[in-house]
Amino acid sequence: MKAKAGNVDIDISKEFTPEQLKKLDEIIAKNKDKAGALIPVLEQAQGVLEFLPMPILKIIASGLNLPLSRVYGVVTFYSFFTMTPRGKHTMRVCLGTACYVRGGKAINDIIKKELKVEEGETTPDRLFTLETVRCVGACGLGPVIFVGENVHGRLKPAKVKDVISQYN
Amino acid sequence: MTMVNITMNGQKISAPAGSNILQAAKQVGIDIPTLCDHPALVSIGACRICVVEVTGQRTLITACTFPITEGMEIQTESPQVVKARKLILDLLFSERNHYCPMCQMSGDCELQNLGYRYGIDHWIYPTYTKGFPVDASRKYFFMDHNRCVLCGRCERACGDLVANHTLGLRNRGASSMIHADANVPFGESTCISCGSCLQVCPTGALCDKRSAYMGRNIQTEHIKSTCNQCSIGCGMEIVTRGGNVLRIESDWDAEINAGLLCKNGRFDPLYEDRTRVTQPMIRIGGKLRPSSWDETLKTIAEKISGTNAKEIGVLTSSNSTNEALYLLGQLFCKELKATNVGLLNSAAPKLFDKPQGSLADIVKSDVILVAGTDPAKDQPVASFFVKHAVDRGAKLILVGGKDNGLAPFATMILADIGKAVEVAERAGSPVVLYGAGITEKGASALKKLQGKAAFVAIEPGVNTRAAVAFGFNNGFKASAAKVLYALLGEQGLESADVLKDVDKKAFVVVQASYVSPITEKADVVLPMAIWSERAGSLTNTEGRVQKVSKAVEPAGEAKSDWEIISLLANKLGKKLATSLDEISARATQELK
Repeated sequence: MKAKAGNVDIDISKEFTPEQLKKLDEIIAKNKDKAGALIPVLEQAQGVLEFLPMPILKIIASGLNLPLSRVYGVVTFYSFFTMTPRGKHTMRVCLGTACYVRGGKAINDIIKKELKVEEGETTPDRLFTLETVRCVGACGLGPVIFVGENVHGRLKPAKVKDVISQYN
Repeated sequence: MTMVNITMNGQKISAPAGSNILQAAKQVGIDIPTLCDHPALVSIGACRICVVEVTGQRTLITACTFPITEGMEIQTESPQVVKARKLILDLLFSERNHYCPMCQMSGDCELQNLGYRYGIDHWIYPTYTKGFPVDASRKYFFMDHNRCVLCGRCERACGDLVANHTLGLRNRGASSMIHADANVPFGESTCISCGSCLQVCPTGALCDKRSAYMGRNIQTEHIKSTCNQCSIGCGMEIVTRGGNVLRIESDWDAEINAGLLCKNGRFDPLYEDRTRVTQPMIRIGGKLRPSSWDETLKTIAEKISGTNAKEIGVLTSSNSTNEALYLLGQLFCKELKATNVGLLNSAAPKLFDKPQGSLADIVKSDVILVAGTDPAKDQPVASFFVKHAVDRGAKLILVGGKDNGLAPFATMILADIGKAVEVAERAGSPVVLYGAGITEKGASALKKLQGKAAFVAIEPGVNTRAAVAFGFNNGFKASAAKVLYALLGEQGLESADVLKDVDKKAFVVVQASYVSPITEKADVVLPMAIWSERAGSLTNTEGRVQKVSKAVEPAGEAKSDWEIISLLANKLGKKLATSLDEISARATQELK
C-alpha cells in the first residue's frame, strides 16, 4: 500500500493545467447535489487528472459536501483510484493461477528489473505504472500482460524488452 | 403497535413489527452476541457474530439487520450457529494483537467475553504477524490499532451520533484501518475529543488515558448524574472506585443527550489542577487562618446581622444547584431584604413568557438561525444537534463572524440579524438558537419569527436559568456592598477583577471550591463541594429540572453549596427548609 500514500505537499497549480482544474470544477458542479455521486466524480476526476492527490481530494470533499475521512476511505478502498501520479501506460501483469504456472512471475520480475520500479510504482519518466492482477480471463494466452488496453499473450521473458520498446 | 409472532429457540414470542431479530431477542432476554452492533448506532451487519439460523433461509443471517416476519422460526445457538461464531472469533483473534493480559480492557472487553463464551482457548491460525501503530496524539484517550477489530462503531458514533465525521475506514482487507480525516494523527485532526468513539469501542483499541488500569467495570460504581459544565444538562454517569472518580461516561438513557457528551463534560472536570479549599478560614491579623464551621458561620452571621440590608451584596456563580440558589434567594432577598444581588455571568435575554421550543426541535428543523451564542465552543452537545440537522439538509444561518465554532458548517454567515430573520421567515420549520450575545435590537428582530419558529435560549453558564428565576440577575453594584457574600463555587476567575470595585473595608465572604485570587483576598472562605461531591438539582437551558448525584465524599471539610447556606440561615435564626428533599421540592415548585 506504499504507493497509496498521498503526496500532501503537491502543488496542484504546477501539477495540473488550468483546463484540467476547470474540468474538475465542472464535474463537481454537475454532481453536487446528487446522492451517491462520490465514486462517479472520483472516476471522472481521475480520467481528467490521471491521479488524485490529497489537495484534489480536499477539493472534491468540500465540493460535494462530504467528510474528507469518507472521500479518503473510498479512494484507498478501490484499487482503481490512485493518489500518486500514474504513467502514460499502465502495465498489468497477470499472476492468476494459469499465468503464474506458465511463467508469469518470471515475466513480472524481468519487467521490474527493466523498468526499475516495484509493483504499484510509476517510472520516473511517468511512462509506465506497474501493477499485477489476478486473472484477466485470458488463461489460454498465459502468461499475459496488459499495456493499457493492449494484450500481449504467450509472452516469453526474452520478448519483454520488445514489448516495452513499443510504447513511448 | 402491530405485533409479529415468532418462535425463538422453541419459545413463542411476539415483538413489534419492524423489529429486527436482535431486538426481538433482547425483549425476552435471549442473548445474541454482537460486536459491530450497538443499541445507539445504525446496524450494519459487518462482524457477523450475531448470525442466527432461520428456518427456510439458505444461509445464516445477521440478527442485527434482519427484520422479523410472522411465523419466523429462529435458532440463536444451534450447532451451525456456534460453529460459525467460533470461526469468526478464530479469525478475529488471529488478526492483530489480542493478547488480553496486557490490555487494560481485560475483563470488560466484548471480544474477550465472546472468546470465553465460545471457548476460544487457543489460536488455530498464525497470529499477530503485522504490527500496527498506536496513536496517542490526543490528550485524553489513545487508539491502539493493534487491538482494533474494525467493527466501525467509532466511525458511526463520530458520524451518525456526533455528526463530526472525523473518523473513517481506509484501505481494504488486512490493511484496513480507522483513520482521522485523510489519515492525519488524531490529535491534529478535526476530532473534538468528545469521547463518543471511546465509549462505544468494544475492545481496548480506544482507551481512556486517565482511568486505564484503574479498575474493571465490576469493581466500579456507576452513579447517574447531570453534567454541570454548561446549560444543556446532559445525563452522565460518574464512574467511581473506592471513593475516587475514575471517569465520566455518558448516559445512553438520558433524554436530552441520549449518550452524547463533549470534551468539556467528559474529560475536563477530571483534569482539574487547581488547589482545593478544604477547610473554613477566617482572616485574623491580616492572614487567613483555619477555623471550625461553627465559629466561621457565627462570625458571618454576626457580621450580617449588624449590617443594613442595603449594604449587603450577594454574588453567585451559575454553577450552583437549584437548592443553593433557592436558599440564597430565600435567605438574602426574602428574609434579610437584600436587593443588591447578582450573577457572575450574563444571561440570554428573555424573549417570551412561555417556552417556544426545545433542544429537540433543532434536529427536526429545516433552517437554524444561530445568534449571540457559540455552542460549538460553550455548549458542544447543542452544536452536535445543529450539525445533525445540517447533515440532514437543514440550512444554518449564523449571525456573527467567522470565529464562531459553527462557521465551517454555516450555509451563510450574516452580520445583520434582520436579514437572517428574513431567510428564516421563508423556512418551513425554522429554529432560533440565541444567547446572551444578542442586542436589544436583535432580540426584537427575532421576535418577528414568533409563532413561526421554535426558540431555544442557549444560556451561558450552567444553572443560569434558575439563577435568573430566583432573582440573581439585577445589576449588581459591587461598590454598594459593605458585606459581600460571593458564592463562587467551582467557577474559575482569572483575576480578582470582580472585586475591583468592592470597598476595601468591605467584609467579603467567599464560598468556593478552589483557591483563587478572590479567596486570597476574602475575609472568610467557606470550602464548597464540587460537582461529584454534591446532591441536588440543576435547571437546564430549556427549564428542565434534573438531579445531580453525590458520587464521592467532599474533600476535607467541604460541604454542598446548599448545605452551607442552610447552616448559615440557622445561625441567623431564620427558619428555612433544612432537608434536601424539602428544599428541592420547594425550589422545583418555584421554578415552574
